[in-house]
Amino acid sequence: MRRNRRLVEAMTLLLALLALAPFLWLVRMSFETDTEIFAFPPHLFFTPTWANYRALWDGQFRLSFFNSTVVCTVSTAISMLIGVPAAYALARMGRRSEALSLWILASRLAPPTAFAIPFFLAYRDLHLLDTRTGLVIIYLTFNLSLVIWMMRAFFENAPRALEEAAWIDGAGYGQTLVWIVLPTAAPALAATAILSFVFSWGDFFFALILTRTRAMTAPVAVVNFMNYIGWDWGRIAAGGTMVMLPVLVFSLLVRRFLISGLTAGAIKG
Amino acid sequence: MTVTLSSARRALRWRDASLTRQRRRFLVLCLAPALAVLMVVTLAPIVSLVVTSFTPLTLTNPTTAWNFREPLLNYRLLAADERFRNSLWVQAQLSFWTVGLQLAIGIGFALLLNLRSGLVQAVRTAFLVPMVLPPIVVAIIWKVLYTPDISPAYWLFKALGWSVPVLITSPHWALAAIVIADTWEWFPLTMLMVLAALQTVPEELIDAARIDGARAWQTTFYVVLPYIRGTLMVAGLFRLIDSIKAFPLIYLLTAGGPGSVTEVTNYYAFEQAFNFSYLGFSSAITVVLVLVTLILSWLVVRLTGWGTLE
Repeated sequence: MRRNRRLVEAMTLLLALLALAPFLWLVRMSFETDTEIFAFPPHLFFTPTWANYRALWDGQFRLSFFNSTVVCTVSTAISMLIGVPAAYALARMGRRSEALSLWILASRLAPPTAFAIPFFLAYRDLHLLDTRTGLVIIYLTFNLSLVIWMMRAFFENAPRALEEAAWIDGAGYGQTLVWIVLPTAAPALAATAILSFVFSWGDFFFALILTRTRAMTAPVAVVNFMNYIGWDWGRIAAGGTMVMLPVLVFSLLVRRFLISGLTAGAIKG
Repeated sequence: MTVTLSSARRALRWRDASLTRQRRRFLVLCLAPALAVLMVVTLAPIVSLVVTSFTPLTLTNPTTAWNFREPLLNYRLLAADERFRNSLWVQAQLSFWTVGLQLAIGIGFALLLNLRSGLVQAVRTAFLVPMVLPPIVVAIIWKVLYTPDISPAYWLFKALGWSVPVLITSPHWALAAIVIADTWEWFPLTMLMVLAALQTVPEELIDAARIDGARAWQTTFYVVLPYIRGTLMVAGLFRLIDSIKAFPLIYLLTAGGPGSVTEVTNYYAFEQAFNFSYLGFSSAITVVLVLVTLILSWLVVRLTGWGTLE
């Protein structure tokens, strides 16, 4: 039995390495010069360089990174602001509607072209193509559903005694929501906000179609390094690392909520 | 006395009713903005998508907008379109292999890692990494691994004296290359879902099977897996719905090629709309995809009981 356990642990480590190795390789590449990247066989040790990152920061990439940050923050904030009260209301109305559940779920799961085509056509007329506002609005399609879905599950399981006590003490419904319900929901609120930020940060499709230069987000900017003069692998790796770093940190912070976020609450991690 | 009591009671009841009415009004007020925004950003676009699918809209020809002379033309073209049928077949293969492999590997690893060990607990976090990476970064990682000049995998093959074809440009291997990358990205999700479900299997059930003389594999196949089949179904359905959306991997690794061996339906719709500007035709393709997604989502809602209060 003991040997068995050792074996399982060894295999676990091996599997974990297998899951991580491709990702670690990209991070390593981002610190290499072009000669290092193309060296054969690859050198085990090398002198890391910040040159790729510096080149990114001095170029257009900085603007794209800024765009990503602004768009995702604003879209998340709006989704929370209108999604959380809605989730609370749905949880307290005591009835569920299959149609509403399906609507919210389907708008999170629909193929992106379903939204990309109508939004593209509408934005052409509204002059919202290649604007950050345009991206903020289209990100609401999945962010708002995510917030409603996750917070509804939370409020349904939260005890109601405190709210009822507050009403008896004469607090209004709005006051109760803001001062009693929301503070106890703080961890769930934080997790939901982070997940919604992470999902919008990862968007590639909508940004690819709805932006050109001014509102281009970081994921699209990285891919653009592949299209011009040759392939700048160092910069691609550095850009990729910069794109994944914030969401990696954020996601690991809320790993407890991750599974339920990814499965719309079907499974509690 | 009785009169005052009953009137007090009536007053109380009246107050109660007005309270619930007030409360209801408050809840509706909470709900209204979100529903209004959802209408504008999700329902309206879908309606507009369906309307567009009845027109031959292309951006190069302005007379094609709002032209409903032959509303079903796109659908008729679609039914006869060889490339569309091919894309459905590619999609079916991609979905089958990715969902199947992710479930199989996820279940296998979860059974292996379902151990009360400090090390295993600590290492679990590592498995989260592939699925929380932005999908485009996953695509970049695999582009590196599939590019022989810079790929450590190809160095290894060369050192071992194996000659491995360039997977993403080979008509025989391109789809497999996508399947491998997608499986790497998402097997952690099924694995973690199964791990969570395994913790809910009651000890007594396993003990009872063991006392009855069942071997470990029999317990797994006849007791544990049937017990968590609900989770497995939901995990599979979620991955299935997501596999219809596959985009960044295909866009970056193969661009649907070589030829059209990795051109899934969603990618075909993207090309028709945004490379060739056939927005009307592409809308018709997308309507088909949305219908499939709706049916699968409805299954999820039914299976999980989200439509009713538990």
